[in-house]
Amino acid sequence: MNGRMEVNTHMWFGRPRAWSVAALVASAALVSPACSAQVRESLVDAESLTIGVKADQPGLGLDVEGEIVGFDVDVAQEIAERLGVTDVELVGVTSAEREDKLISGEVDMVVATYSITPARKTEVTFGGPYYVAKQDVLVHADESEVSGVHDLEGRSVCQGEGSNSVRRITDGLGIEVSELQEAKSYSACVERLAEGDVDAVSTDNLILAGYLAENPDGFRLVNNPFTDEKYGVGLPYGDVAACEAVNKAVGEMYQDETASELLDKWFGETGLEVVRSVPQFEGCD
Amino acid sequence: MGTTPARVWALSLLCVATIAGLFGSATVTLDQARDGLDVLGRDAGPQAMATTELYLALADMDARVADILLMGTDHDLGSGRAEAESGYEASRAQAGRALLHAASLTESSEPTEPTDGETVEERNVQAVLDGIGAYEQLAAQALLLNDEAGAPPGEVDPAALQSHRQATRLMHTELLPKAFNLGLDSSAIVRTNHEEGRSSVALGLVWVGGAGVATVVSLIALQLYLRVRFRRRFNAPLLAATVGAVVLTVGVTLALNSSGGHQGEAKDEGLDAAMALARAGAITTDMQADQSRYLIDDSLADNYQQVYLERSQQVLFRPASNLDDYYARIAEVPEAFPNLPGSDGSDGSDPEDPGTLGYLGQDARDALLSGHEGALAEVLAAYNDLQVEDQSLRTAAREGDQETAIDVRMGISHTEDGVFPAYMDALDGLIELHQEEFADGIERGNAALAPWTWGLPVGALILLTLVVVGVRPRLAEYR
Repeated sequence: MNGRMEVNTHMWFGRPRAWSVAALVASAALVSPACSAQVRESLVDAESLTIGVKADQPGLGLDVEGEIVGFDVDVAQEIAERLGVTDVELVGVTSAEREDKLISGEVDMVVATYSITPARKTEVTFGGPYYVAKQDVLVHADESEVSGVHDLEGRSVCQGEGSNSVRRITDGLGIEVSELQEAKSYSACVERLAEGDVDAVSTDNLILAGYLAENPDGFRLVNNPFTDEKYGVGLPYGDVAACEAVNKAVGEMYQDETASELLDKWFGETGLEVVRSVPQFEGCD
Repeated sequence: MGTTPARVWALSLLCVATIAGLFGSATVTLDQARDGLDVLGRDAGPQAMATTELYLALADMDARVADILLMGTDHDLGSGRAEAESGYEASRAQAGRALLHAASLTESSEPTEPTDGETVEERNVQAVLDGIGAYEQLAAQALLLNDEAGAPPGEVDPAALQSHRQATRLMHTELLPKAFNLGLDSSAIVRTNHEEGRSSVALGLVWVGGAGVATVVSLIALQLYLRVRFRRRFNAPLLAATVGAVVLTVGVTLALNSSGGHQGEAKDEGLDAAMALARAGAITTDMQADQSRYLIDDSLADNYQQVYLERSQQVLFRPASNLDDYYARIAEVPEAFPNLPGSDGSDGSDPEDPGTLGYLGQDARDALLSGHEGALAEVLAAYNDLQVEDQSLRTAAREGDQETAIDVRMGISHTEDGVFPAYMDALDGLIELHQEEFADGIERGNAALAPWTWGLPVGALILLTLVVVGVRPRLAEYR
């Protein structure tokens, strides 16, 4: 700002003297409060983006011979493109790393089955959700007696380490499962399900559908969802402009049916009942 | 030596030019500031506020339908079927008006997709409009089937239930999300306008400051030249003009700063807070309707109970994994107020407890600064009353006492003494306080600029007159 004013005074005076410099400084002090209200840097002005995605979640973000592919990855690319960014670097992140990497600036954006929760909203600004997943149940293909979450009464259920999906069934709905198994990851849970070591796996339906798509004949998705998991686009805290731009991009993705096509591409074969209209956004404040 | 009068002339003209520059830049910047206040205060602000009513009206329509279905043949339950029907009609009309507001707001903003001439928002408005028609058909069908079947309270006819499921699904997957997003869009439009206005005023201030400095410097240059050439101690009119130029520059700058401050307060503490609370009211409306849906649809009861908890958490968040935990945690909030349980997390005692959050929690944190504690305490108490009633409703339902559960439910939404209308009244009181803050901020912003409407041209004329008065006698010496 000072620089700009000096240019103006030079234009008018040619050679500013000592006192004019003093006056300049004085007036700069006068004007500066208005200038300090400048807009902070926002991702909307970025030319390249580093986006954190899952690298171990089939159907959503999975590292396949060095290239990460999945629904989340495609959504991330679409959003970046609609923000006018072509230079996108994808980085694999685990669930536990998402906040830290976003806060440290290691990634600019996170699209990684990242549920919007009131607690997370205190350190991350969320665009979207771009999809509202729901907790559902995956059982072995031979299992015909489970048609809803209440049928898990007396059955064993597996959850991934650090997840509380089974607690939602036991504490939240008061259903008594016979055994709560905890595996290292949901992939490990699904392996146990395939081998008959556990009766059911319960977590977000998009995640379950991702496993089902890998082995459509081995499992069955119950399709009786009972919670909402709002998959948001994690952004640096307070970047309201980027959040609004992401919401606009997601809105467009649903209007031009890109979102619908991506849901079909990744989950079309699984019998998952997908929602094809735009989710209710969380808001950017 | 003809050069002295020529130089006096040149310096004088420079003074006149810089004074004109000061006048011009200040006029433009003051106009920009006034425009910003006008757009926020008269157009975008009130329209954005109106958009939030769309979600409320739609949620209320679906709530009334669920209540009428729950009542079945007993038309005197709660405040009665006729009341519910007229409430439905009123909300239907309200939704229409809110859509018109949304449409005019989206049209007045810049088109974002010039290629096909229709913005995301415009298409959303159209989609909601179409969706309301489809919803009304399904809802009317559900009510008709239930009436024809003569279904007693709480035992909705299966075919009617089928139509109701479709209707409420349409409402919750198509209409409400788009309505909510339209409200967010209007917030975004207001924010963008506000920030663009602010940065153009900030740029204008740089010009005003520059022109002010230029004026002062050229007046001093003229003063010094006259002092050297004419051996006078100082020229009083030019000195007065110099002081005047400083006063004018500082005055306009301060007025713009103060007006911008008031505008910012009007937006942040007035409009944004009022809109957030209006959203809280709309979500609560939908959430209390989940009680009726829970009672009429056994096969989806778990789901309706779960979304009830999720919507509750959006309105006022306390960590809880089920409703019983939540009731207990929420009861602590009005008790502890104005302290907030687990607030700011700085005590670090419980990493599982991020604090009291959600729309009401956020307002509670801000209210501690703005003196709305009284109104907010009422809202928090009324919200807890709603949850207390919810607990007795679900306890009765779990124990198989359908009749009591229905009575509790219809009591909650009773227009005269229900806890839900009482909560909405308390919330409206709080929203009104924020709206007053909005109106006050706009008014103060305008008041800060008002004196300069005449002060600036008069001041500039005085400066010009002083320059003429100061220079004329010296030039006269060369005639």
